[in-house]
Amino acid sequence: DDCLTQRMMSHPQLYIPGQLNLYFSKKAFFKCAIHSCYSSLVLFFIPYAALHDTLREDGKDAADYQSFALLTQTCLLFAVSIQLGLEMSYWTAVNTFFVLGSLAMYFVVTFTMYSNGMFLILPAAFPFIGTARNSLNQPNVWLTIILTSILCVLPVVTYRFLLIQLCPTINDKVRQARATPPPPPRRTRIRRTSSRRSGYAFSHTQGYGDLVTSGRFLRRPAVVSWSPGFPPVGRATSGFSPMGRSAGYSPTGRPQSSKVPDVEATSLQMYRAIKDPPL
Amino acid sequence: MLASSYKDEDGHISVSGSGAAAAAGGGSLRNKKPENTAFKQQRLPAWQPILTAGTVLPAFFIIGLIFIPIGIGLYVTSNNIKEIEIDYTGVDMSSPCFNCSQNFSWNSTKSCTCSIPFQLDQPYESNVFMYYGLSNFYQNHRRYVKSRDDSQLNGNEESLRSPSKECEPYARHDNKPIAPCGAIANSMFNGTTKPVNWRRPVYELDSDPNNNGFINEDFIVWMRTAALPTFRKLYRIIQRRNNLLPTLPRGNYTLEVVYNYPVRSFEGRKRMILSTISWMGGKNPFLGIAYITVGSICFLLGIVLLIIHHKYGNRNNGADVSH
Repeated sequence: DDCLTQRMMSHPQLYIPGQLNLYFSKKAFFKCAIHSCYSSLVLFFIPYAALHDTLREDGKDAADYQSFALLTQTCLLFAVSIQLGLEMSYWTAVNTFFVLGSLAMYFVVTFTMYSNGMFLILPAAFPFIGTARNSLNQPNVWLTIILTSILCVLPVVTYRFLLIQLCPTINDKVRQARATPPPPPRRTRIRRTSSRRSGYAFSHTQGYGDLVTSGRFLRRPAVVSWSPGFPPVGRATSGFSPMGRSAGYSPTGRPQSSKVPDVEATSLQMYRAIKDPPL
Repeated sequence: MLASSYKDEDGHISVSGSGAAAAAGGGSLRNKKPENTAFKQQRLPAWQPILTAGTVLPAFFIIGLIFIPIGIGLYVTSNNIKEIEIDYTGVDMSSPCFNCSQNFSWNSTKSCTCSIPFQLDQPYESNVFMYYGLSNFYQNHRRYVKSRDDSQLNGNEESLRSPSKECEPYARHDNKPIAPCGAIANSMFNGTTKPVNWRRPVYELDSDPNNNGFINEDFIVWMRTAALPTFRKLYRIIQRRNNLLPTLPRGNYTLEVVYNYPVRSFEGRKRMILSTISWMGGKNPFLGIAYITVGSICFLLGIVLLIIHHKYGNRNNGADVSH
């Protein structure tokens, strides 16, 4: 798999959401609050309506306070776990183990706390005796849990999917790019295209005569023979080729910074050049 | 090799380049860095779920296609359950129990009886369960729920002698401990004994020795507090006698009530429910309807998202990342 640092260097726009405080603003908080309101209503009223005047499959009443509480909290656990799975966009073995493990732990603790043994030790503290094993063997209860969790998560998935389709952020585009052909060949294509463009553009301006005569380009590690107006052929990574509008060199002859960027930073320049005016 | 400077994890800026100095400094520096394993450098193989059209849309359609049949099955099952509810509070003047509800109060000694006729339109097959239902009775009030002593109910001798504080003010009477103590026990729904200061002690709840005392079924059922103000609790089961005849054939029936539990004071209602049972429990069409609704919504959303994806999604997918 690609090393993450290289990917971040090749797509510097990924830093923009952080700079613009896009993900931690009042609007984001408001969206979060709406989602919690909706989830709370779903998590209470669906179990309420499902247990209202309902009975177990052996005829005994199902709507006692302990069963209702257990049903609601199990629905909550499942909804939260699924939501967590959605938020967690990087499922390593460690992550998976802890998420599934916490769900398993919930059941272990529940069955332990509601067991006969704990009740006999301290009757006043464990009033929920027998609830877990009597409630969780009802198909009614599990159907309610599945319905509630999916209903909680449905709006989130829909909203995110719509956002990705209608106004994708740079993060989404990068992730989609990962799913489609890998970037390095694209990069070469881009370079060639833009250099071709820049070749045309610069043919109308003063050109790089002073560059050639100054010999500055000789400082670069590996340079292919090059002249203005001719796009470099072959793999561009092996040499320097002007990208974008100025690529650090001004056609007007104004002095440029003497810093010699290496190959990686050139692609950085490519992005910066589009946005910033030439130095 | 070019000289480069970098900051290691301790925040010290150090320069390493070619030469002996690097070797000496690099040795100690290398100890402070975590090992270059996949785990410590956070390079573990991972699955990155992306919400693409290829995953979300099939998921929506599959959920829709699974939920709708489940909902239909639940709804049909619920409709096949036979249930009849008879309210015998006696609110209307025309109800047979009206006189009882008006005249009976907490300290009446004479019990009042009334009989309500009802009709079964369909025969009830297999076991029929009889429930009593109460409305507007908040068994889920917090102080009420806490007002019990489980150690006492468990048979703990010390608790029998001195009930827990939670049971106040129903813990002692005339300096004697009350067993079972607490408000829940005190308000037990009964067919035959008075609620406040039970006329019969707990060891005479039933003549059957297996159903007496704290393990009396009605008592146990009552002590399990209900979650909602409208609830029903199991009273008796009418067992199926033989396979050929329905348990309760079609016809006219009469409900004889010994009116002992006054509920008019808190605008409550009492009713008797006869119901058959299926694999999903009693008659509750909500789950079936909810599944059908959510399944259809999912399916429709899937279609809508598919349309949106076709019209707008492809335009953005192939966008050049550099722009």
